[in-house]
Amino acid sequence: MIPAYYEFSNRAKILSGEYAIEHIPFELASMECARPMLVTNKQLRELGLADIVLSALADGGVTVGAIFDDVPVDSSVQVVNDLAGAYREAGCDSLIAVGGGSVLDTAKGASIVLSTGATDLLEHMGSEVVNARAMVPLIAVPTTSGTGSEVTGAAVIKDTERHVKMGFVTPHLVPDVAVLDPRMTLGLPPRLTASTAMDALCHAVEAFSCRQANPLSDAHARAAIDLLREYLPVALDDPKDATARLALANASLLAGAAFSNSMVGIVHAMGHACGGQCSIAHGEAMGILLPHGMAYNLDVAGERYAELLLHLAGSEAFAATPAEDRAAAAIGGVRTLLELAAEKAGMPTRLSEVGMTREQLPAVAALAINDGAMSFNPKDASAEDILSILEGAL
Amino acid sequence: MSTAHTTHVGIIRRTKRLLAGIIFWVMGRGLVACARLDSRVRDEVATWPDGSVITLMMWPGTPKTSVRKFDGRLTALGSRDIEATLRVTFKSVAASVPVLLGMKAILQAFAEHRATVRGDLGLAMSLVRCLHIVEGYLYPDIMTRRILPSPATRQAGHLRAYAGLLGASAPIAPAETTRGDAA
Repeated sequence: MIPAYYEFSNRAKILSGEYAIEHIPFELASMECARPMLVTNKQLRELGLADIVLSALADGGVTVGAIFDDVPVDSSVQVVNDLAGAYREAGCDSLIAVGGGSVLDTAKGASIVLSTGATDLLEHMGSEVVNARAMVPLIAVPTTSGTGSEVTGAAVIKDTERHVKMGFVTPHLVPDVAVLDPRMTLGLPPRLTASTAMDALCHAVEAFSCRQANPLSDAHARAAIDLLREYLPVALDDPKDATARLALANASLLAGAAFSNSMVGIVHAMGHACGGQCSIAHGEAMGILLPHGMAYNLDVAGERYAELLLHLAGSEAFAATPAEDRAAAAIGGVRTLLELAAEKAGMPTRLSEVGMTREQLPAVAALAINDGAMSFNPKDASAEDILSILEGAL
Repeated sequence: MSTAHTTHVGIIRRTKRLLAGIIFWVMGRGLVACARLDSRVRDEVATWPDGSVITLMMWPGTPKTSVRKFDGRLTALGSRDIEATLRVTFKSVAASVPVLLGMKAILQAFAEHRATVRGDLGLAMSLVRCLHIVEGYLYPDIMTRRILPSPATRQAGHLRAYAGLLGASAPIAPAETTRGDAA
């Protein structure tokens, strides 16, 4: 499939594997940076993950200009502004973000403020409206394997005064360097391993089936699903398996690069709304809702889902399945992974299992319909359609 | 390259820009007309924060058209300069003409990165839903069947919509909650 027109951007240099973190000093030097600010949160400092990076920087002779570890679970405009202020005060020349989606998005938000000289982050809310000759150098070290934020041109920041989550979308936000080191995810609890992997799976499936799927995003999405199918069971059986951890980190990155360019759809729209309205963990919402969203899109995206069966179930299962049954079987493949995650890691499979009630669903549907991801879903949906999907997943 | 060829290209370029300007004007007036004729548009606009100014424009700045929701009315402002709450900017005239002529879906244009959005993406989604309804009034079904995500439905006839282009303002009842209240 070749679209009439598409755009694809991914400028991040990827460092993946053993001692990847130890290469950060070299990467800083190659960008002529000597005084980075480390951005993380207190929990990751207590777990010693930030220390691994700090130790590598010290070994490389890098002086850390400042450490900012006040990033909360949900980033906010205030935190971004505080971070930018601390960066300027300490005279730093680059950012190293060590953490999950919130930490990475906070660093991205600060990079907008610092690179454009903006006084208010809100000036740059929207899609492709950041203009800057050069962004503040940003190195991303993810500590979960799900968001793909280390290679995406997007950040979500909360405006706590208006109680809205603001989207910032621009290729300028893609970090300069993404560092995948298995040490960063070896300690992830099984349920978090499962839910973040389901988030990555959802990124890949939606990127592959949404309006702007293209050959480059397809290649990334297919590779991501192959890795998830092969290594999620391994990581759930043996959380200390460094190879499986690295494979999941790569799957997350690949899926991130895919959806950063071809975007996500109705499953993410519903998931964002579940998070905003009911504080449901994003990865868990993704795992629960993905098969239901695929079933809704089936009549429009069936041919694309059929192609995914090869990656979700493997070549033998693909060959053994009649062509007309492959799309439905692909949804079955997703359900199989979800059930495996439920069995081995306690991953929830219904919205009711995470505490959602029928009474909450209309408000969730009303919120989902205004989510930007709805623009890219292959099939139109009304609030009533979304309510029906949510009821099916309850 | 001959002078005649250069002149010809220049005429085509100016014609496309002129055409885009006319369609922008029609879109702005059409939005206001539909807010008067169609309860779905009226309900959508009612959720926009009071004082919202929405601008559709061509990069780098003209042509453009704006509408403003203020004090219970939606008003077409035409091409006047005004600070926008939400600004949708098409990156090129050539790529935007099929969208503006109803030959390509506006959602497809967004998916193809043909336009940028400055402002609240949730408000942009509401605008897109309104524009789909407006297109259902402005263009015949044979065109909208190909570009709208679902078949066009109308609460009034095409002719009333065309006549409605003459009016620049429509009353909007207040909504129970506005977009800025959403979590």
